[in-house]
Amino acid sequence: MIKSSRWKLARSNWDMYVLLIPGLIFLLLFKYTPMYGVVIAFQEFNIFSGIGGSEWVGLEQFQKLVRSEDFFQVLTNTLLISMYKIVLLFPVPIVVALLLNEVRKMLFKRTIQTIIYLPHFLSWVIISGLFVTLLAPTDGLVNQIIMAFGGEPISFLQDNSFFRSVVVFTAGWKEIGWNAIIFIAAIAGIDQEQYEAASIDGAGRIRKMMSITLPGIMPTIVLMFILRIGSLLEAGTEQILTMYNPLVYETGDVIGTYVYRMGLGQQDYSFSTAVGLFNSVVGFILIISGNMLSKKFLKRSIW
Amino acid sequence: MHSRKIGDYVLDIFIYVSLIAMGLSTLVPFITVLSKSVSEEWAITSGKVNLFPVGFQLDTLQYVVTNNQFLHALLISVLVAVVGTLASLIVTAMTAYPLSKRELPGVGIIIILFVFTMMFNGGIIPSYLLIRQLDLIDNLGSLILPGLISVFNMLVIKSYFESLPQSLEESAKLDGARNYTILFRIILPLSGPVLATIGLFYAVYYWNDYFHPMLYINSTSLKPLQLYLQDIVMNADSSSFKMSAEDMMNVPAEGVRAATVIASTIPILLVYPFLQKYFIKGVLIGSVKG
Repeated sequence: MIKSSRWKLARSNWDMYVLLIPGLIFLLLFKYTPMYGVVIAFQEFNIFSGIGGSEWVGLEQFQKLVRSEDFFQVLTNTLLISMYKIVLLFPVPIVVALLLNEVRKMLFKRTIQTIIYLPHFLSWVIISGLFVTLLAPTDGLVNQIIMAFGGEPISFLQDNSFFRSVVVFTAGWKEIGWNAIIFIAAIAGIDQEQYEAASIDGAGRIRKMMSITLPGIMPTIVLMFILRIGSLLEAGTEQILTMYNPLVYETGDVIGTYVYRMGLGQQDYSFSTAVGLFNSVVGFILIISGNMLSKKFLKRSIW
Repeated sequence: MHSRKIGDYVLDIFIYVSLIAMGLSTLVPFITVLSKSVSEEWAITSGKVNLFPVGFQLDTLQYVVTNNQFLHALLISVLVAVVGTLASLIVTAMTAYPLSKRELPGVGIIIILFVFTMMFNGGIIPSYLLIRQLDLIDNLGSLILPGLISVFNMLVIKSYFESLPQSLEESAKLDGARNYTILFRIILPLSGPVLATIGLFYAVYYWNDYFHPMLYINSTSLKPLQLYLQDIVMNADSSSFKMSAEDMMNVPAEGVRAATVIASTIPILLVYPFLQKYFIKGVLIGSVKG
């Protein structure tokens, strides 16, 4: 009975399914076909023979991966850059939101917000263009300052001891302002009566910040942190692709850029797909675990 | 109470100084590049241009924005952004509408199939091989089709549709209207703000996309702005380590590089007031999931 009424509902709304056709074609062709395509990680893929004609080699690509020194270097770089980004950059937008919340001069507040949100909308290519100029070895502003103080100029983007710092700094420069928005919104949602009650009790501004504002946005902080951990293996592929060069592969090559170099540069399709698959699987596990943590501690699912 | 007041004063100074410092460090890279784009070349190479222009001139900027290759790349970017945004909006709304009707058989499983792709993907190489097999290398379709639907955007529109009152659709149905008529004649006209927000999400994505053109576009005549700019930025930068005589000829001077960066930033600056307004809305819709 229930079944037949659902069938009737579907039949009388047949055109709803027609509306879905382009979306479903997109989903199958551009999302699920590449997922099927990962089977070449278990082959010695030959582009002329295709998936059907290529030789199956089982886990050989993954054995190659585990033995590869490149891979460990790349994994280390990915984790290091990603962890620097989390440890150094995750707390800053929270502080910025707390500071902006204390500003009573609206024009000043809006001006600062307008300025610090801007880099979010610029492409990595533009940002790397800005910083290549700013950090240029002889005529860049930063090296001009270093030399004015009697220091030696530094080739920031060609020097393995500085490249990761540049990556982390520019990522912060681009997104810190924008990432503050979610915390600003969370602060706006805090019940104002709490502040009034605290004022009557004689609490100062710092006290209110620490005992009302910060606890008030803690669920948002935890949720954003869990989401952030979910993308631990994404150290900023597009960013690094626009900034790096062979001189800094040693410190700057991350999983995403390595897959690109091995796959498209050297046409080692099967091996690079295996590296990509490792990346996707670990990423998937991180996201699922994050969602479980979120359900447990925040009583809400990320989706 | 006196010490409280002094404490407040010190706190305010700390807050204003930190925020001003942050604002300035955001602006400094723009200022130094802008200054180089309007300075004389000799002044740049001799390291005289720091924050302010030396020997003001607009010839470099003029040369860059009237350069045929730049204009061509700009045109490609505009084309991809306009066609891509329209196509994405239409297909995303068409997909979101049926999926907002949970009671329809099959909808639940299709939503799961979409959401799964947010957590797991085939990766760069299988996607590249697919585009190759579809013969889309060096075809602008390769810049639009793989990102046609952003699942995140689709879910935002879906939850907006779910929030609309059912009564609108019911009365139209009593008059015998079909679902697609309801979507295009009733639902979409009511969805102005959310479509504007999502439209801007898509437009900025297409405009700023560097990754897809890098993978799929080799032909110079199809390079969008980001790819053109990257060639200029990195050519100049690689000068310090490996450089053939032929490369030497093609290396753009510092001023040209700076001017190209500035010229590429201007389109975003022009629409920035809208971006700021609608993007903030979008981020907040997305975070308070429906």
